[in-house]
Amino acid sequence: MSDLKISNLHKHYGGFHAVKGIDLDVPSGEFTVLVGPSGCGKSTLLRCIAGLEETSQGTIEIGGRDVTYARPRDRDIAMVFQNYALYPYLSVKENIAFGLRARKFAEAEIEKRVSRAAEMLAIGHLLQRFPRELSGGQRQRVAIGRAIVRDAILYLFDEPLSNLDAQLRDDMRVEIKRLHNELGRTMIYVTHDQIEAMTLADRIVLLRDGLIEQQGAPLDLFERPKTRFVAGFLGSPKMNFVDATATRTGVKLADGTTLDLPGQKGLKAGAAVVLGLRPQFITVAGKTVAKGHARVPAVIELLQPTGSRVQATLPLGGASIVAELAAHDVSKPGEKIHIDLDLTRAVVMDPQSGQVI
Amino acid sequence: MTATVHPDRNFKYWLVAPAIFLLLLIGLFPLIYSLIVSFMRIDMMDTDTSFAWFYNYKTLFKDSRLWWSLAHTLLITAVALPIELLLGLAMAYLFLEKMPGRQVFISLLVLPTIISPIVAGATWRLLFDNRYGPINQILGWFAGEPVNALWTINPTLVYPAIIFCEVWQWTPFMFLILLAALSNVDKSQTEAAEIDGARFIRTFRYIVLPAIWPVMAIAILIRGLDLFRIFDIVWALTQGGPGTKTETISIYAYVQGFKQFETSYTAAIAFLVVFILTVVCVWAIRRMGLVK
Repeated sequence: MSDLKISNLHKHYGGFHAVKGIDLDVPSGEFTVLVGPSGCGKSTLLRCIAGLEETSQGTIEIGGRDVTYARPRDRDIAMVFQNYALYPYLSVKENIAFGLRARKFAEAEIEKRVSRAAEMLAIGHLLQRFPRELSGGQRQRVAIGRAIVRDAILYLFDEPLSNLDAQLRDDMRVEIKRLHNELGRTMIYVTHDQIEAMTLADRIVLLRDGLIEQQGAPLDLFERPKTRFVAGFLGSPKMNFVDATATRTGVKLADGTTLDLPGQKGLKAGAAVVLGLRPQFITVAGKTVAKGHARVPAVIELLQPTGSRVQATLPLGGASIVAELAAHDVSKPGEKIHIDLDLTRAVVMDPQSGQVI
Repeated sequence: MTATVHPDRNFKYWLVAPAIFLLLLIGLFPLIYSLIVSFMRIDMMDTDTSFAWFYNYKTLFKDSRLWWSLAHTLLITAVALPIELLLGLAMAYLFLEKMPGRQVFISLLVLPTIISPIVAGATWRLLFDNRYGPINQILGWFAGEPVNALWTINPTLVYPAIIFCEVWQWTPFMFLILLAALSNVDKSQTEAAEIDGARFIRTFRYIVLPAIWPVMAIAILIRGLDLFRIFDIVWALTQGGPGTKTETISIYAYVQGFKQFETSYTAAIAFLVVFILTVVCVWAIRRMGLVK
């Protein structure tokens, strides 16, 4: 059964068309991440689901019930806001209990639920404090506590980690993933951070300009992007794009290098294409060239060590590409090396439409 | 070692001295002088200016017209202030949403507050006029027969008329201040409350009111003080009449000082007002939590 079903959803802000007809089906218990660059409509979509924005067209069903015109409080949802939105004049305990009191829960039940939520989030010692006395990470825990204390069908997260520093963000990400495993609830999570999306999601819904560009399991999107946009958005460092010309069996780069692409069908010889190659699929040449790999010479232009790995910038076919190599494979800029390109993982795109061929 | 030039540390005091002196001259001196006058026997009828000590203050307690004027003032304050507050709050909520022509409507609504109260009062006197005023005429259309309500004379109608004018003129003040305060309430907090299932009253009580309270308390205090000193509107409408039925404390002081020329007695009334307002203010500021 699906907990959320969106059909042909549109949202206009005056003349601005923010959401342009989205269909989405979220099965029970799934962790869905809405991801995309700023202005892609992901937050607007989430606010429409929550009922904080009126929809211009289309329907929203939550738990099998049409809630398109229902008030937020009648939608059976809980939400965590980007800026936490804690109630500043209530203690942590009352913040968490607020929704239960509004829904007229018995005092004993409130007591029980608040302490269980506090225990799950390790904020039991903070219950008597006020939001202004908490650190950013603690506030975020309280905001999450306020959401999970209720039995909602749908839990919405609007960029909950973007106000935290990097270290805390990693910790909270683990925490949220653990919560989802423990609670098994349906969660919808908005972020612009592709790493958050990759690590948290059962399913990623990648939005662009108010439309779904592609949706599926994180690895599916990573390995089989349908468009150049998806290929470029997911993965860090970014996928390399090199302009090339299609040949019968592969592509020819601007400097004349020809690369055979195994299993690549549908190429029209002579047509302009873009070759996409992830930095992770480029290695320093070993003893033998593996099947489906191509060996090319290269001169290192720039090195960015990240610890165990190093990001090397080097020229390929008239473009500058980044290769993620093992830390000690290369030593300094100017070094002449040979690299192996794993062409079984390469994608070829149409430069006009951006569609993967 | 070179000698360091020490600027005169006291120089800054000289810079503010003229302003302080001026403030003392126009503020503190009249206060003290009128306090002295209130202990004397000055009036414009004879030349006796000897000290009477607490005579004027003793007279205050026996002066029933004074206590009635105080009661009238409190009545107007007690009725007009809550109306202005609630009406202003309701209007502020109404204009919180984005809507076409919002700026224009807000500007139009604020107009009454810009008008001088004495002019507003005089205008309303004409509007309330029993024979030529449009108010009776319009009421007549609804009643289906000529209405001849004596708004500024009939003892049962005169307070509604005064309070109506007062509310008309000063609700926009509350509206504007509360609109600014409400606009500053973090929207995501009220949204979170709405998702949490809270209805208007609960959201207002626990989230909005605590946030706007410092501003709202000041607005209440300012309007409360203004209302306690109300003069212009009442003077223009009724001059305290019929009889002394609508005489406020300010009107009574004015009559004593500038119609009866009881200078020392008026000074004593003024000090009674200062005393009452000081007590109320100090109490209110503490009670409203404006000073921690």
